[in-house]
Amino acid sequence: MDMWNVMEYAAWGLSIIFGLYIVIDWIKTDSTYSEEELMSSREGELEAMTEEHTL
Amino acid sequence: MANYIPPVQGKISQIIDVIVLLVLAIGALYLPLFLGLAGSAQTSEVPENVTWDALGQNATMVEKWNELGYATATDAAELITSRFDYSFSVLNLLVMIVVVIGYYFIVLRFSGKEYSEVISEKFGDK
Amino acid sequence: MSDTDITSTEMDGMGPGGTKVGLARVLGPAHIWGLGVGIVLVGEYMGWNFSVGKGGAYAALLACWFAGILYSCVAMIDSEVTSTVAAAGGQYTQAKHIIGPLMAFNVGLYLVFAYTMLEAANAITFGFLIDTVAGMTGHEGLDQRPFIILAIMFLAWLNYRGVLATLTFSLVITAFAFCAIIALFLTTAVFMSDSPLRHAELMTDLPYGWLGVIAAMHFGLWYYLGIEGTCQAAEEVRSPARSLPFGTLAGIMTLLIAATLTWYVCVGLMPWEYLGQAGVPLFDAARMSGSVTLMVLLGIGTMFATLASANGCINDASRAWFAMGRDHYLPDWFGAVHPKFRTPYRAIIFLVPIALIFALGAPLDQVITFSILSGLLGYTFMPLNVILFRRKWPVDTIKRGYEHPFHPIPAIILLCLCGVTFFAVFLGYGSQLVAMLSFYIIVSLWFHFWRYRFVRRAAQFTMPWPRPKGY
Repeated sequence: MDMWNVMEYAAWGLSIIFGLYIVIDWIKTDSTYSEEELMSSREGELEAMTEEHTL
Repeated sequence: MANYIPPVQGKISQIIDVIVLLVLAIGALYLPLFLGLAGSAQTSEVPENVTWDALGQNATMVEKWNELGYATATDAAELITSRFDYSFSVLNLLVMIVVVIGYYFIVLRFSGKEYSEVISEKFGDK
Repeated sequence: MSDTDITSTEMDGMGPGGTKVGLARVLGPAHIWGLGVGIVLVGEYMGWNFSVGKGGAYAALLACWFAGILYSCVAMIDSEVTSTVAAAGGQYTQAKHIIGPLMAFNVGLYLVFAYTMLEAANAITFGFLIDTVAGMTGHEGLDQRPFIILAIMFLAWLNYRGVLATLTFSLVITAFAFCAIIALFLTTAVFMSDSPLRHAELMTDLPYGWLGVIAAMHFGLWYYLGIEGTCQAAEEVRSPARSLPFGTLAGIMTLLIAATLTWYVCVGLMPWEYLGQAGVPLFDAARMSGSVTLMVLLGIGTMFATLASANGCINDASRAWFAMGRDHYLPDWFGAVHPKFRTPYRAIIFLVPIALIFALGAPLDQVITFSILSGLLGYTFMPLNVILFRRKWPVDTIKRGYEHPFHPIPAIILLCLCGVTFFAVFLGYGSQLVAMLSFYIIVSLWFHFWRYRFVRRAAQFTMPWPRPKGY
């Protein structure tokens, strides 16, 4: 068991932590906010407000 | 023209759609592998009497090969003599050209149809 | 939401209102540069050198410059269109507005597959590098899998948490990797009193003749593949009309310099037969220079380049997937934005296992070829796109953030170079090319006859433009 074995385990561990963080936050977000709010993003909205397309 | 109202897609149908896409994509990636068609083959002809000279390597090249860890000419011989085979049949080339052009033709044609529908709904009929 | 008529002709797109949670507009031009160059720079550290194997050292340089012309055209065309169509999804959204829905669906898939495959390739290389380092310290038989998974999970987490931190990270490590290349060049070519470069003795004639030059174009793309990804950030840039052209064009210039320097140093240090199959050529070059400092610098540079690239790929692929979900091209579930982090979090999550499947299960050259082919199909679309763009909305009808010069010459050059590259790919990987195209043909039919029924028609057209000419 040398340093590299430890690194292997550390990499597995960190991967699991990052994965869990994402999954837990995902579940929390989906249950806290309404679907309508989460999916309210519309393409081109800022475009319509900020960009002038008339010459 | 009346506005088109799309049907609401059920959960299961959505999941099936995603799976269909994935299966097709992974299929396209692995099919050439399974059929053994992947990659371009290299052939190498190692001369009988292997010396750096016979391999056409000058003194500097030999020095660099040594630095790279190839101590003798025999070690590097296969690497130096391997070549790709670029021969191809005209028929295959024609098939490829037809497939590429046909693909863009289909996509552009269908897109054009769908596009005029979008425009006439968005801006009204002329 | 129900009181907003998204098909209104007075209120373009959604107009004000509607979006409660959207992507965050926080990026500046430097981030765009970091995103574009970050994705690509890994190509300088590995992969480009296969073009040396395909046609010899000079062929690789010619391929580098021809591909450079190809990509300059791509960057110019993209800059013009995207400075006008500023939305997540980049080329996908452009295609939707300019050519039509089916083309857009195909382009969206090119983007997602090119980037996800590239991400997988980067993760594979990252694992290989860790293994190499372990080997140098005397450890045999390292399990690469945890490191491959860690790279993908960490970057997915970073992307999930917010775009500003993600692209700032990309910017920093990309700048480091770029400086490492410059340092390698300056040290070996200028500062070392006894330069180790031996161009005169190492250069040979073209081993395959001119056919080899064409064949080299296949991997010549690898010098720049992915620079077009800058467009994906359009919805998150503070002033897209200015930042996108600036970041993209600065990016392509950076890459032209880096690519030529990389070629120069590498062919001066290694015989082409070795270089043509090397796994990590710049690291080898640093090793050959005899300087330990350079070796460490380029080793870290290689690692950073793979991470920056994978990072940018996650960013871009998820934007494209998100944009398609938002338009119902894919299940609309993917069109959600995280209310706190302001990222397309479901798209990011969904693409993680896919990247893992490819990174852990498929061979590297296969993954790279799939990525290059998807990119190539995308470049072939761009000239068609810009020609139709100029025809449907001539220069004086809408305001453009940037207008590319000499239209239609760049479009025609680009189309010709794409044709040459198709032939180059055909020379080595003809069966993959046909397999890929069959995939896209089947998927196109599936989309046209099935999937498109779920898409609202006029709502897809969100830009506040006048009616296109000829419709």
